[in-house]
Amino acid sequence: MMPKLLHQMVQDAALRHPDAAAVRCDGASLSWGDLASRANGLARVLLEAGMARRERVAVLLAKGLRVPEAFYGVLSAGGTLVPIDPRSPAEQVIRILRATGVTRLVTEPGKRDLAATALAGCPEVAHVVGLRPEDAVARPCVPWEEVPPSGEAPAVDVIEHDPSYILHTSGSTGIPKLILHTHHSAMSFVDWAVAEYGITREDRLTNASSHHTCFATFDYYAAARAGAATVILTPSVLMMPSSLAELLERERVSMWYSVPTALVQLSLRGDLESRDLRSMRWVLFAGETFPGKHLHRVMRQIPSARFSHVYGSTEVNVCTYYHLPPASELAGPLPIGRACSTTRTLVVDEQGRPVSGGEPGELLIGGSTVMSGYWGEPERNRDILVRRPAPGELEEVYFRTGDRVRALENGQLAFVARADRQVKVRGYRVELEEVEAALLSLASVEEAAAFTVPDAEGSLAIRAAVVASGEGSAEREILGGLRRILPPQAVPERIHAVEAMPRTPTGKVDSRALAAWLTEENAPHGR
Amino acid sequence: MAADPIASTPDGLVESRILDYLQRELAGPEARLDRDVDLLSGGVLDSMGVLRLATFVSEEFGIEIEPSDYVIENFSSVAAVASYVGRARSRTGGGDGPARS
Repeated sequence: MMPKLLHQMVQDAALRHPDAAAVRCDGASLSWGDLASRANGLARVLLEAGMARRERVAVLLAKGLRVPEAFYGVLSAGGTLVPIDPRSPAEQVIRILRATGVTRLVTEPGKRDLAATALAGCPEVAHVVGLRPEDAVARPCVPWEEVPPSGEAPAVDVIEHDPSYILHTSGSTGIPKLILHTHHSAMSFVDWAVAEYGITREDRLTNASSHHTCFATFDYYAAARAGAATVILTPSVLMMPSSLAELLERERVSMWYSVPTALVQLSLRGDLESRDLRSMRWVLFAGETFPGKHLHRVMRQIPSARFSHVYGSTEVNVCTYYHLPPASELAGPLPIGRACSTTRTLVVDEQGRPVSGGEPGELLIGGSTVMSGYWGEPERNRDILVRRPAPGELEEVYFRTGDRVRALENGQLAFVARADRQVKVRGYRVELEEVEAALLSLASVEEAAAFTVPDAEGSLAIRAAVVASGEGSAEREILGGLRRILPPQAVPERIHAVEAMPRTPTGKVDSRALAAWLTEENAPHGR
Repeated sequence: MAADPIASTPDGLVESRILDYLQRELAGPEARLDRDVDLLSGGVLDSMGVLRLATFVSEEFGIEIEPSDYVIENFSSVAAVASYVGRARSRTGGGDGPARS
């Protein structure tokens, strides 16, 4: 029978090939048999401590083999998994634990200080796995040594429309969005991905992103569905492109999925020419525009791989995809492609009416991969999960992406801009993405990010940060270049040269942090 | 020892200049840093921090950083960065001036 629940996939893989590698990290590995029995063991510990179905269980772990063990353990016990970004500050952890009503925490000694501070602010968390009683967190603790592996999965009544996990976004300030998925919405994406990319148990996937993001749904669960292995990449190796390239060769990695930045770093500083990466079959990227010059180079450096541009968000998983032609045939901006077989797309105007062919409008997403909603936010859900009339006096739910797109003649969708990155400068509409694309078209500019700051007249002024080097990298040269390709209102008032962009844990440019950093007194000045 | 300008900054001084930079620019005054703290897995550096540190050592000690130098062993601690700087200087024969214009 086809597995319909995320944790069933591990039991399945453990039955079919118990000794094959399930996860690998820093030279250590767990087989599917090991992973299943460890997950069962954790599930039993949670259930014996009185955990009820659908209780929220947070997982606060550094990247490593315990992550999948904890994920599948919580799910096997019928819990709703709340993975926490292990690099969050304590206040953020507290906000997430409180907002989701977490009652149990799975962690490890290496996260003791963060866990203790967070627990002090969350008396509702009644039980901790992964610390010792002497860690003094003032509640019952079961250390990992006392979680015995178990050959048998506990019998728990879970159906595919039950909650599976709550993912959180990682805004640098404010309250994170808490996104609830079911087993069904996650599995729909997983089944699509396994079929579309032909993933088999011969494959080796990577987990490059942090495990609290939607990238992990592919990295862990699509691998489990196919019985493939996931190679977990630690922060150290991700920061050192040449070490990463060596690992990709040594581990014979066959699939990669990340934001473009990680690939750009690998391409610029990974010494890829000296590596044998012929095992690489698919490179998937999402989340940001991939600057053309970098993309062409990466494609030449990894000639065995096909490249796939996927589009989606944590709220809807992947919903459109575009498999790239060979580098020599690439022309112009990449489309976001066509809808996955799980997804219905609609492009609508500001009144919610479908636009006529080719007109830009907001992209709406319907289908089986859409989230249940934001946890505890009925008003936001009414606004963002819109009900549209369907035949039979019924209604269908669509997610409002906030992204402006338009349909191309071949039926593919092209990204136009984030609705919230369209700004008004002295009465003119400017797309910040256009400013960034213009900057990147200059030979000296390696990375670019545009943002706005309030100006003296109460309007907005555009500024940009660039990573630039070599000829033409001085501020006035860049501004001169921009004036030849952008309308005057879109030319930034100032260009800040930076050595690197601040990034969110997913690897996207953190424009809020950038604006805050560059408008402080001690900001680096344009050269 | 010959009065070779390449070797004119003793290792200990290289370490203290790197440590000062990290404390001042990247880690913040409250972080407890020493020459052996793991800069990569300890959360002192993120990917932006790595590139800023690389730019600093390149300009401060006049070395060219090759792509193949971006490996864990060269950046895992202040001591490791200083030892890498020493090797890179003898490799390129660079002086004290910036290697890049």
